[in-house]
Amino acid sequence: MSNYIKSILFAAVLSLVCGSLLTLASTGLKEYQLKNIELDKHKNILKSVGLMSGQDSVSQETVGQLYSENIRQIWINVDGKIVPEQRKGKNDLSVYLFSQQGKIQAYIIPIHSRGLWGKISGYMAIKNDGATISGFTVYSHQETPGLGGEIERKWFQKNFEGKKILDDQGNFVSIAIAKGSVKGRIPESRQKNFVDGISGASMTGKFLSAGLKQTLTEYEPFSERFRKNEIK
Amino acid sequence: MKITKTKAFNVFFKPIWESNPISGQILGICSALAVTVQIKTAVVMSLALTFVLAFSNLLISLMRKFIPRNIRIIVELTVIATLVIFADQVLQAFLYDISKQLSIFVGLIITNCIILGRAETYALGNPPFLSLLDGIGNGFGYSQILITVAVLREFFGAGKLFGFQVIPDAFYAAGYENMGLMVLAPGAFITIGLIVWLQKTVSKE
Repeated sequence: MSNYIKSILFAAVLSLVCGSLLTLASTGLKEYQLKNIELDKHKNILKSVGLMSGQDSVSQETVGQLYSENIRQIWINVDGKIVPEQRKGKNDLSVYLFSQQGKIQAYIIPIHSRGLWGKISGYMAIKNDGATISGFTVYSHQETPGLGGEIERKWFQKNFEGKKILDDQGNFVSIAIAKGSVKGRIPESRQKNFVDGISGASMTGKFLSAGLKQTLTEYEPFSERFRKNEIK
Repeated sequence: MKITKTKAFNVFFKPIWESNPISGQILGICSALAVTVQIKTAVVMSLALTFVLAFSNLLISLMRKFIPRNIRIIVELTVIATLVIFADQVLQAFLYDISKQLSIFVGLIITNCIILGRAETYALGNPPFLSLLDGIGNGFGYSQILITVAVLREFFGAGKLFGFQVIPDAFYAAGYENMGLMVLAPGAFITIGLIVWLQKTVSKE
């Protein structure tokens, strides 16, 4: 009997000690971790508009400077109208503007999609014509490394560059991930609305396609205004 | 008595070559396959594992007289898991890019057979100082193989060392190509196999 009590007591004390040590470490390091995540998001926004390539290691200051010089965050309502930050409601959407020489070059939409195992988060940059994708990045996901996890790789993301979210008639069709390569599978006229898929990860592609479509539909009024040249 | 005959010396140096956890005992292969595409990730992984291994051995050895036999595995895992989560948190705070590349493999140190193996077979029955040495020795043994494999893979797979291009452009112009196999997991498997073979042949006597 006393053996059981000893075991339970030992387990309880050990759990308590380990638990409090971890809590201490976690709260103590939180600030640094959040700063890193923030920096990583900024890097991804810069990557999506081609201001940074994935390879080069740049200092924190350079990222901060590049970001503040070129990128501006705004909020829009469901009609695609810009709302001031102080008056934003909970249905308003966040969007980033990339401007150079006083002219908007592209707008960057935060993407939050369902994946096969968890949430996929990233950014999609669309040029100021409101139709051409200029870049796509992923900064967090839980897909299988080597399969669905390839969405974070350069070769996959590069496929998005230059693709369109409109069809030949100018109707919104979103962008989708094909099952396998686009060539030979998708009719010529629709190829610009598809990117090459990842073999062995068709479910990730399916969920991401659906997530992209949903997000792009929400931002469609805003894209529409770019197409009509209402925003400069 | 010669230093090479002392117990501490043996405890420390044996796992580095003779009874190396990877090439001698064939433990901890999975992480060795996964994180050895680049030297940088291999070095960080090695440091994280050596840290966890050294301290789990030390702590378990310190508690070895009080740990109730019937829950000893649970206790060992609790200690190991605490250390791993701590290492993961530190990496996320200070080496974010590398921690992203290592992704789940830092967390998977918990299930690395080397650590539980050393805790069970060594730390539970030996004094703290020797256990610490055993932990560091095994950590170095693991690191040694990991970094060797990573050097070979990065050199043949990408033509780089530590991210710097070492194979000159002239070679590529002359028709040299990187070995695609080395970037993939089978490349690591074959490399480790060759190292095991080499080791078995050299230390036959």
